[in-house]
Amino acid sequence: MIVALGLLTSTALAAPKKGGKGGGTASAPKGGGAGGGSASGGDSGEIEMDQPAGGGGGGSAAAGGGGGGSGVDSGDIQMDEDQTKPGDLSADLAASDQANATVKTGPVKKTPLSWKDIVVVVRKPFLKVRRTELYPFVGTTMNDNMIRHESIGGEFNYYLTDVLAIGVEGQYMVHNFNEPYDLVARQARRLPTLNQYNWETALDFHYVPVYGKFAVLDKKLITWEAYFTAGIGVGQSEVVPRDTKYPGFTNFLIEPNIGASMRFFLAKWLTVNIGVRDYVFVDKFEPTDRVMYPTSTLAQDHADSSLINNIMFQAGLSFWLPTSFEYTTFR
Amino acid sequence: MKKHTLFAALLAVSTAAGSASADDKPTAPISVRRLNDLHNDKAVRHRRLLLRNRFEFTPLFESTINADFQHTIGGGLKLEYHISDMWSIGVVGVYGTSIHTGLVDKLVSGPAALPTMPDGRQPSQEQFLDHLNQMPIHGAAYISLTPWYGKLAAFSAAYVAFDFYFQGGVSFASLTGNCPTTVCSDMAPGQPRPNPMPGGENLPPDNDPNNDPPLNTGGRAGLYLAGGLHVFLNDFLALDLSVRDYAFSDNPSGADFNADRFVGQNTKTGEDDNRFLHHLFFGAGVAIMFPTTIKRTP
Repeated sequence: MIVALGLLTSTALAAPKKGGKGGGTASAPKGGGAGGGSASGGDSGEIEMDQPAGGGGGGSAAAGGGGGGSGVDSGDIQMDEDQTKPGDLSADLAASDQANATVKTGPVKKTPLSWKDIVVVVRKPFLKVRRTELYPFVGTTMNDNMIRHESIGGEFNYYLTDVLAIGVEGQYMVHNFNEPYDLVARQARRLPTLNQYNWETALDFHYVPVYGKFAVLDKKLITWEAYFTAGIGVGQSEVVPRDTKYPGFTNFLIEPNIGASMRFFLAKWLTVNIGVRDYVFVDKFEPTDRVMYPTSTLAQDHADSSLINNIMFQAGLSFWLPTSFEYTTFR
Repeated sequence: MKKHTLFAALLAVSTAAGSASADDKPTAPISVRRLNDLHNDKAVRHRRLLLRNRFEFTPLFESTINADFQHTIGGGLKLEYHISDMWSIGVVGVYGTSIHTGLVDKLVSGPAALPTMPDGRQPSQEQFLDHLNQMPIHGAAYISLTPWYGKLAAFSAAYVAFDFYFQGGVSFASLTGNCPTTVCSDMAPGQPRPNPMPGGENLPPDNDPNNDPPLNTGGRAGLYLAGGLHVFLNDFLALDLSVRDYAFSDNPSGADFNADRFVGQNTKTGEDDNRFLHHLFFGAGVAIMFPTTIKRTP
């Protein structure tokens, strides 16, 4: 019996278009139907989704595939049972508990199927598997109070599954100085040692462990997801000379990166992304006693190294190709 | 040809395996099958009212983001009453301590450190440090709007409710400093100094802001803006993450900002070295909701 219930449940979810015997519900459509009885042997209780009422299709055969199609036509869904009753959550929960207790403690009984037996699992509204994401973005540094970099860049990601993607990114950066840069010079009579970042590119992997939905002002539902990124790339930094008399120099950087982002779904082909990315690298700065090393080569050879976390906030629109998708599972 | 044969063989094996698994796999009884939390959930449920008419009590931790001279880290409390699903009122207060930023560390040690004694227009290390202020107490009173709420699934296993909120109100802070008169010795910054010689004319201002009192202490009031989210761990506990901006007039370095060579009100321009600054904090706390039981939408 348990096996029968298991088959019934799985079949009902996965293959709603089979015939079979049921318990002969009161509202089962009656009809002649000298159908061919194409039912699946003794399997029973499956849901007939498209059987015309009173029709004599063979789909609703009785057990054994006799195809009687008369009185005990089976497996149909009761649609009118609850329609006249007001919703009562506590009663439903109590009934659910009672039903579960029965399953756990006693033998399984065959009962007629109704809408109450169908677990509604809403499909994910957006599928990404085997789709390509084109993500132009703008960004800004978050953790440097001397120099702020603003960037424009893009990502090109391909989703191997719905939660895993591989991609490449690149960005070009420009900089400007913040208030403390001037203050330190005027108040403490010290010129800050700074590097500017010119560009960066990386190979990234993305993993999407979180998805959800939220209501905006009780009016509109928006689906979103959160994903993590890890990658490895290269970039370039350039010394900002404290004294323009001395030339700066550039550094080639190996830049691992990690990040976390959120994606909000606006259409099947369009999402809004925001995220934070930490680019980690060892950078070389202009030596303090620059006068001793007037050329850029000498200065670079005697540069001071430091581990840098360049944390950037990024935001942009993602365009998805193909622009649409099809579900491969039943609703 | 070999490739085709291999492919056909693989296909046959995989098909057979699939059929076997589909046909022969014994179906476990529901009582022993692995089920997640959704098993006992109703398909369409009345929404849990996680905020409406509830009192929120949130012990929290806060830390400055990108402070120039002194990081402030501390603990505090947020008290909030949710009038409806969207609107609430509350107060937050934090007691904190100060830690030097990397910039300050570089200015008091290392090859670019300030001199130990005043040297021309360079402040000494003592002058520089004594002019910095601290923010032991800060807080805000606010109105909060929660326009977004929803639920999320993490790793297809944990299903939790969350909401985003935005707050606006008034901020307050208590700023302290400790500049002894031996360091901040100029009692009349920017003003002519009395001549020690009897009957002599007053001396011009010393034009040295490094010995002026910093004028960056005392109580401050300003604007407060914040955004954050609750992630509900159950019906009455939620993780509370936020970014808060306490904006008020301040001069964290206590030094001359407007380049008039003294610290204080410039009678000619009306400018002060204090200016309206944003003090960004990251906060994390655990919100406890009272009553601990919730209602659902009718």
